[in-house]
Amino acid sequence: MPEQSHLVLCVDDELIGLKVRKILLERAGYRVLTAPDGSAGLDIFSREPVEAVVLDYSMPGMNGGEVASKMRQTKPHIPILLLSAYMGLSSDVLSMVDLYMTKGEGPPVLLQKLSSLLQSSSDA
Amino acid sequence: MNLSQFNRILRQVFLLPVIALLLMAVALYLQIQGANSTVNLIQESNARIAQVSRIEKLILNEESGLRGYENTSDDRFLQPYLAASSSLQAEFDKMQTLPGLDSIEKHYLDDLIEKHQIWQDAFALPVIATIRAGGQVRDVDLNLRGKIMMDDIRQDIADTTHNAEQRRSARIDLWRRQVRQMEWFLLALALCVGISIGLFALNRLHAVSSAYKTSLDVLGRRAEEIFQSEQELRTTLASIGDGVITCDAAGRVQMMNPVAVQLTGWTQAEAQGQPLEAIFHIVNEKTRDIVENPVAKVKRLNRIVGLANHTVLIRKDKTELNIADSGAPIRDRTDGIAGVVMVFRDITLERKTQDALLANEKLAVAGRLAATIAHEIHNPLDSVSNLLYLMRNGASKEESEQFMDMAEQELARVTQISRAMLGLYRESKAPVQVDLKEMLQEILLLMEHRFSDERVTIHTDLPSSVSVDAFPAELRQVFSNLIANAAEAAGPGGEVRVSITPQKDGLTETGIKQEAGATVLIADDGAGIPAEVRPHLFQPFFTTKGERGTGLGLWVSRGIITKHGGSIELTSNTDDSTHGTVVSVFLATKPTINAGGD
Repeated sequence: MPEQSHLVLCVDDELIGLKVRKILLERAGYRVLTAPDGSAGLDIFSREPVEAVVLDYSMPGMNGGEVASKMRQTKPHIPILLLSAYMGLSSDVLSMVDLYMTKGEGPPVLLQKLSSLLQSSSDA
Repeated sequence: MNLSQFNRILRQVFLLPVIALLLMAVALYLQIQGANSTVNLIQESNARIAQVSRIEKLILNEESGLRGYENTSDDRFLQPYLAASSSLQAEFDKMQTLPGLDSIEKHYLDDLIEKHQIWQDAFALPVIATIRAGGQVRDVDLNLRGKIMMDDIRQDIADTTHNAEQRRSARIDLWRRQVRQMEWFLLALALCVGISIGLFALNRLHAVSSAYKTSLDVLGRRAEEIFQSEQELRTTLASIGDGVITCDAAGRVQMMNPVAVQLTGWTQAEAQGQPLEAIFHIVNEKTRDIVENPVAKVKRLNRIVGLANHTVLIRKDKTELNIADSGAPIRDRTDGIAGVVMVFRDITLERKTQDALLANEKLAVAGRLAATIAHEIHNPLDSVSNLLYLMRNGASKEESEQFMDMAEQELARVTQISRAMLGLYRESKAPVQVDLKEMLQEILLLMEHRFSDERVTIHTDLPSSVSVDAFPAELRQVFSNLIANAAEAAGPGGEVRVSITPQKDGLTETGIKQEAGATVLIADDGAGIPAEVRPHLFQPFFTTKGERGTGLGLWVSRGIITKHGGSIELTSNTDDSTHGTVVSVFLATKPTINAGGD
């Protein structure tokens, strides 16, 4: 359990998935903010001192790649973990994010990747 | 030379000899007339000579009668004299009235008559009177005078006779000359007429002959041309890639080209004169029913006919070929049917290719859905694995129940998706009852995510269930295709409307009989399809999507709908305000499934 819990933003249009992920991350000691789509996510991202973003790729209106590129424009140092149900996203999209994982790889992988992101960002 | 010219020549060749012979006959007639008149003259001369000799005889009778009387003084001796003397005057008259006397002859005759009169008056009558008176007439002088007179008369008669004979011989000469002349004339005329008829006929026949030769040449050329064109046609038929069989009006085989021989397995010699069905044995691929003989069909419909789909030709060796064919009537001059020509080809390979294309399109439809499916399955899986993790790491009882509920919901979603996905591939042998509303909802569910990704709004108007008999996997393929097309056309921010309009059987307002069924409308508000593109939409390999399209979607869709006895229509509008495309698919509740429709 970290001394000061990190604030993580989760963006996903899958409402059950988002709710479960929030519980999972909170149990792991993070403070979690959620947004059901890209524009709401960007709104929170600009307002709150978010330390990391767990972003779904496939969302209505604006996909994860677009959201990530907008986030990079405002706060380029905030690490972004892209989640996707799809395999083989284009390299353009992957270059926008710090890490990428496929949904269904399991919670340990998610937690490990998120903590490594926060580790490296705090190291930086 | 045409026929009227030829007839004129025939008339000329007939008339000329007739005219020439007529002219010759006229000339001959004139010649004969001349000769005849000469013969008449000869006959006149003969008559004169005869008359003179009669007169001479009578005069001699007078003289000898008189001499007897002188010697005997008996009246009985005088009788010949009296008889001659009495008829002599008539003979003289007759002589004078004979035709054709000239002046010299008249003169001789008058002289003779006068001298005879003198002899009678100066000698005969006085002698008779003297004897009757009883006197003597033996006086030498007297008798000498009588003799001299009689000699004179005789001389006259001789002169007259001589003269007549001379004339007669002159006339005979004339006649002979005339006859000879006539012979020459005849000869010359015959030669002239013969030669001119000959020359004329030769000339005319020459014309006919050259015309005949020209005709022969023309005929020869025509025959050669016909032969050439027939050869060309034969070569064309022989080298055509399709099988060709021609039949007479009774349906007996007349000709087969090499491809037909190869496809049917019957040689031309074996097939010649056989009824078509004997060598062209065709059955339906699926039902194995005998397909109507194309010759009978052409004769029945009196037009070009195509063969039903899925026709199999059973060859002589009982092997089978998928064929496509058509029959066309061969028209005679009165527009009747003189025969039937049949063209067919082996489409076994084509059918395999087509089957492969259909399979390919099915895969493409599945491929287009694969992304959606991955999303739809991975999302619930992700939630479930997160929930399990949470439960494993110590959750309270309430929490666990809540997590299990959520996991169940997510798993139900996976099941639903997987069912919808399987529906796309579930093949059924026979049509089953399909609820269109349910099917469309399933398809929309599969594509939901894609629509939201593309920011396409879906509006549905799906009333209470409408069922039709169909092959569900195939209908799913059609509707997935059409809805995906519509979404793509609508583009970000666009709208797609999907609706079902049930239809009862009965008559439409315009009195057209309609079947019970339903019309599915799929409309988008995209840019519309330009009019020049529309006619190509249902053709295979036509795509407006470049690399992303197979160009088979609408072609396959139409095939499937046709097979279901339904219809598919596309209307599109490129106007600024009302642009968009509407595809309507009609499906009957109890359709006649047309197995050969694709």
